[in-house]
Amino acid sequence: MLRYTVFRLIQALFVMLVVTLLVAFAVRLSGDPVVALFQGASAPNKTDLERIRKALGVDRPFLVQYTEFVTGLLTGNLGKSFRNGQPVSELIREKIPGTLVLAASSLFVSIALSVPLAIASAVRKGRWVDRLVRLFSLIGLSFPNFWLALMLILIFGVGLRWLPPSGFEDWRSVIMPATTLGLILTATNVRLLRAALLEVLSTQYITVARSKGLPQRVVLYKHALRNAAIPAVTFIGLQFGGLIGGVVIVEQVFAWPGLGSLALNAISQRDYPVLQGTVAVLALVVVVVNLLIDFSYGLIDPRISVS
Amino acid sequence: MKVHIKLLSVLALTLGLGVALSQSPAPTGKLVIVQTQDPHSWDPIDTFLLSWGMVGSNIFDGLVDRGPDLKIKPGLAERWVFLKNNSVIRFTLRKNVKFQNGEDFDASAVKFTFDRLLGDEGAKGPQQANYTAIKDVKVVSKYIVEFNMSRPDPVIITKLAGYGAKIIPPKYYKEVGDEKFNNLPVGTGPFRPTEYVKDDHLTLEAFTGYWGGAPKVKTITYRFIPEASTRVAELQAGRADIVQGVPVSLASVVKGIGDAVLVPVGTTTVTELRFNTSLKPMDDVRVRRAMIYAVDRDTIIKTILQGYGKPIASFQGEISWGYDPKLKPLPYDPAKAKALLAEAKVPSGTEVEIDFTDTDVQFREVAQGIAGYLQAVGLKVNLKTFEQNTYFSDIIPKNKTGHMYNFGWGGWTLDFDNTAYLLYHKDEYWNPVFSDPKVEALLEKERGTYNQKARQKTMQELARYLQEIAIEMPLYQGVNLWGMNKRVSGWVVPPDDRNRLVSVSVK
Repeated sequence: MLRYTVFRLIQALFVMLVVTLLVAFAVRLSGDPVVALFQGASAPNKTDLERIRKALGVDRPFLVQYTEFVTGLLTGNLGKSFRNGQPVSELIREKIPGTLVLAASSLFVSIALSVPLAIASAVRKGRWVDRLVRLFSLIGLSFPNFWLALMLILIFGVGLRWLPPSGFEDWRSVIMPATTLGLILTATNVRLLRAALLEVLSTQYITVARSKGLPQRVVLYKHALRNAAIPAVTFIGLQFGGLIGGVVIVEQVFAWPGLGSLALNAISQRDYPVLQGTVAVLALVVVVVNLLIDFSYGLIDPRISVS
Repeated sequence: MKVHIKLLSVLALTLGLGVALSQSPAPTGKLVIVQTQDPHSWDPIDTFLLSWGMVGSNIFDGLVDRGPDLKIKPGLAERWVFLKNNSVIRFTLRKNVKFQNGEDFDASAVKFTFDRLLGDEGAKGPQQANYTAIKDVKVVSKYIVEFNMSRPDPVIITKLAGYGAKIIPPKYYKEVGDEKFNNLPVGTGPFRPTEYVKDDHLTLEAFTGYWGGAPKVKTITYRFIPEASTRVAELQAGRADIVQGVPVSLASVVKGIGDAVLVPVGTTTVTELRFNTSLKPMDDVRVRRAMIYAVDRDTIIKTILQGYGKPIASFQGEISWGYDPKLKPLPYDPAKAKALLAEAKVPSGTEVEIDFTDTDVQFREVAQGIAGYLQAVGLKVNLKTFEQNTYFSDIIPKNKTGHMYNFGWGGWTLDFDNTAYLLYHKDEYWNPVFSDPKVEALLEKERGTYNQKARQKTMQELARYLQEIAIEMPLYQGVNLWGMNKRVSGWVVPPDDRNRLVSVSVK
């Protein structure tokens, strides 16, 4: 167990190193943070550009800059934003609650919807309930989340005025963004969970359980669902990375203050420290979530031991 | 006796009313303004963004001020004189002015502001570059300062109304440090920032001690919403009072909101297609003129921009110093365009490229329209897009553009000098290839004098010459669209986004 944990942690560290290196390298391939500072009016001349590049430290070789970032990462110092001189760690601390609230509540919406739908559809395979669920999940899969977000705003924010159209004011603000992301996740989750359930339901031990005369409820919840949980949990874990990606667009549409919009702005501004810091933290979150999921297998299925 | 009492009470009432009238009423109400962007720092020397100016104009004052009519007027300086053959400018400062934290405004604040701007802190930001003609600032007495100039800068007074020259409080800045000052700064303006959540909102509270009289609104909340549809939705939901950046495509939606109005305002921003004269056949002036004749710019403005734009003859709008009302745009004349192309021996089917940024949805439509017109005179047009920062850092300045590229210009000094020098002067950042001895001579002539009349004449001559050699295809002067809830009154929309909201009230 201990060896496995250490091994996985080293693996996680390696993943983060590769991810940040790639991002730091790629963001420097084109564009210029100094030119971004001049956005709005006027124009820089060559002396101005050099002066500010020097002041920001982007005139140094890439490896020097990246090594500085990594050593900073190890000591918890992520550098300062080019735009306002604020420590990156502080910026991230301000933004992380928004993103986590959004990600967690969309996962919640998705699980709350997809588990009952998948059960209903798997149990009544081929019947109208199943066909309806599959049809809706197909529609859900083809939704651009951007469009769905705008529709929700128009219906519930503008038309009915039940919910604030944008911003992060109170719990009501969470509903629309979480539903947007949640619905799209549900579309894939339902299909996956249904497939996993169907596979389990066709195994011999389910037939045995049924022939023993166990009621449908017990067969379903005690035997089938538990065995279908492993692929589902794995998938939801993998989805978490994708979810962070979806968060970026939803944050933009709902003007939601989170890490997604922070990273997006950092890219267009070429604010290297902010982008590198944000990506490192997001990578860490994804790595930790997947780590937790690996460890959770043992809890779901005692036959699996993590070593 | 009864009568007397009545009379007395009427008298008392009248007197009381008189007192009430002479004092301005306490600020009331809350104004919600939605803007497109959060500049992330409210320090005047950190940015050029209009989204800073929208807010910063309420927090800070400069020595001189520029109102919605775009005229320069005294701000924290009551008057100024040029001395010693224009090498010194002496400012007499306004007395009894306080910063929002109670700190006194005087000459030491002016010196501190400019020492910081021209020193190491300013070196990290983009604003310093505008003020390098100032050598140093000398305190003469408590309310008199002198600016020593290292070289002439005929636009310096206008520049002092710019963002970078806003006066900051030395004690407060030293006390809280740069980082805190970026988030919650203090100035001498009518509103003080009290709460800031990045990418979400900034709250300002009325400063009743403002030297120009207390503002009418008590609280202003600025919200930052990048997505245009969401901004308009907030106006539709009645949760926003003033909304910036309504795209032309949503103009009819805003017009349809019962309790809101669409407010168009002409801006200083101009849009063009700049020609890359280093590429064939754009090195031939006949070809460049042919391109301009070929495109019906008026129709593009009427259809794609729905009329929210004005035709321009040179790369400046009518509020620009140097604008010449007598200079007319080259007309739409496809026959002449074809003749010129034939004369220059440009074969039919010649490929030309138009470049622009990938996020500019409106210009994509404009470019498609232009492509249609150019195809009609026998050219084949390729449209090519770039990511914004790449476009402005690597493509334009490094001469990697195609034959024509989209370019927009704010010209914040409202003086053609700023535009012309940075765009047509040899080897400037935005001008990697073009050079012309006559243009150089005119620019030097214009920059060397404080005689504003003479400068205006030189710049008009320059604009005429640039049209003659057809260095670019001027397209239009932009019109900004704002949405406003009818609750708001007293709002004068500024063409430069500096929304000073002292006299705005909200029901």
